[in-house]
Amino acid sequence: MLVVDDEPQIVRALRTSLEATGYDVDVAATGEQAVAAAAMRPPDAVILDLVLPDRSGIDVCRELRGWSKAAILVLSAVGDEGEKVAALDAGADDYVTKPFGIDELLARLRALMRRAAPSTAPVVELGDVVVDLERRLVTLRGDPVALTPTEFDLLRLFVRNEGKLLTHPTILREVWGPAYGDESHYLHVYVSQLRQKLEADPTRPRLLLTEPGAGYRLVRPS
Amino acid sequence: MDGSRVAFRTLFSVAAVAVVTGVVFVLRPAAPVVSLGVIYVVAVVAVAVVCGLAYAVPVAVASMLTFNFLFLPPVHTFALRESENWVALAVYLVTGVVVGELATRSRRLAREAVAAETLRQSDAAKTAVLRAVSHDLRSPLTAIRTASEGLANPSLALGEAERHELLDTIRIEVRRLERLVENLLDLSRLEAGPAVRTPDLWPVDVLLATALEQLGPDAERIAVTVPTDIPPVTVDSAQIERALVNLLENALKFSSPADAVDVKVSAAERGVRVTIHDRGPGIPEADRGRVFEAFERGSTAVRGTGLGLPIARGFVEANGGTVSIAADPVGATFVLELPAAAERPALAT
Repeated sequence: MLVVDDEPQIVRALRTSLEATGYDVDVAATGEQAVAAAAMRPPDAVILDLVLPDRSGIDVCRELRGWSKAAILVLSAVGDEGEKVAALDAGADDYVTKPFGIDELLARLRALMRRAAPSTAPVVELGDVVVDLERRLVTLRGDPVALTPTEFDLLRLFVRNEGKLLTHPTILREVWGPAYGDESHYLHVYVSQLRQKLEADPTRPRLLLTEPGAGYRLVRPS
Repeated sequence: MDGSRVAFRTLFSVAAVAVVTGVVFVLRPAAPVVSLGVIYVVAVVAVAVVCGLAYAVPVAVASMLTFNFLFLPPVHTFALRESENWVALAVYLVTGVVVGELATRSRRLAREAVAAETLRQSDAAKTAVLRAVSHDLRSPLTAIRTASEGLANPSLALGEAERHELLDTIRIEVRRLERLVENLLDLSRLEAGPAVRTPDLWPVDVLLATALEQLGPDAERIAVTVPTDIPPVTVDSAQIERALVNLLENALKFSSPADAVDVKVSAAERGVRVTIHDRGPGIPEADRGRVFEAFERGSTAVRGTGLGLPIARGFVEANGGTVSIAADPVGATFVLELPAAAERPALAT
């Protein structure tokens, strides 16, 4: 695990919690140090602050993505939606917003590490919802749910990327094709419909979560 | 100076001389013509006040020449028969210039006084802002410091329950500080000018879901009703979510933790209406306009900087909507209206 941040107190808090969880932690305070450290001892995951003293975290992200398979989790500040999206475009896998809770950060890391081995099972159980990807069948507490073809394609994309943040452009590209990459017009409407069909309370979703300003994420309800 | 202003001032100066000339012409039978020349001072003063000294001096000279040419013997020449007329003209010119200069100066002084007053008022506003913010910063900091030092103090025999309570205090107060920083950022963005929007087509239930998520466990006592046939709106999601968070947070803050806060979404005449109703003390009619001003708190206020509602209104209005307070016998009801999207998505597939 490589932690890249130039604020000593944040590094200290992260290092303590990560080591207590059982991760092996390297630390870098600048973009240069980060790239060097990742080359010397390739990490499984990089926690990368977007604001570094020598260069932008987005740059570092792009460079690392060029030759490293490490999962990249970026730390972005409140109100920098643009930065966050740019980092995701540059190859980051996920983000947490500063100030973040350590539980949230650890959960994201676990999800990133798990993703190395994606599930290919044809039938996926997500709490009350069961999705049969081969037969295109969805049930809620045993009862069949009627989904339109687009709704099903959208759900299938989420199920295949369980736990992963899917950005608006990614979803549009995968479900509607490359021509729709830039406008998320219909996406939110379909998400609303999926929630109405699958969630117990569509305004308090537990399956299909919104990542404000970035995209959506499907999680297994706890 | 732009061309239209120069044109206006030139026209005004010419008109002033022409009008006074007309008046002198009319009054000629009634008084000695030399004494009527004093009326030209009116033109000079008027031009000085409206256009400034730069126009008043040429107008004074033009007045003298016009008066000389049209009215002083020998008429229709610039020559003068009697030397007294020369003296009289010089006096008019000097009077005109002096009065013009005085008018210009008093205009400038008035302008400076207005500027000074504006500056003083903005200083007073800044002081009020700083005082409110530093109070809102200091109280959570104090709580966090006390709680963390309590946890670190080896001489305190803290039980498990007490430790939990102190940790909870720290968490709650940290959350308060985070919200304050977010609100100040939002406010500075709104004050900086029209907020940059990235509008998109959003169903209101998706926006509400994100707002509820951001409110955390407090949101549990919010009861939401959303019919399925509500049209989507074209808005900047982050801005409207923030507006909803602030309105909901306000409703939670000003009502008992035992009471529900009701959120109802309905189709309105020109779009979508969201009503947020709490069972708190309500807002007296006199305060209903004031609560949307930054750093104002209603007279029943509990605590807080009073930034939430102005930010909510700022963001909603930036998205073409409105926020208002409905008259309600019990509690407070905020009504948020957003215009429906112009285009409707085809939802067949």
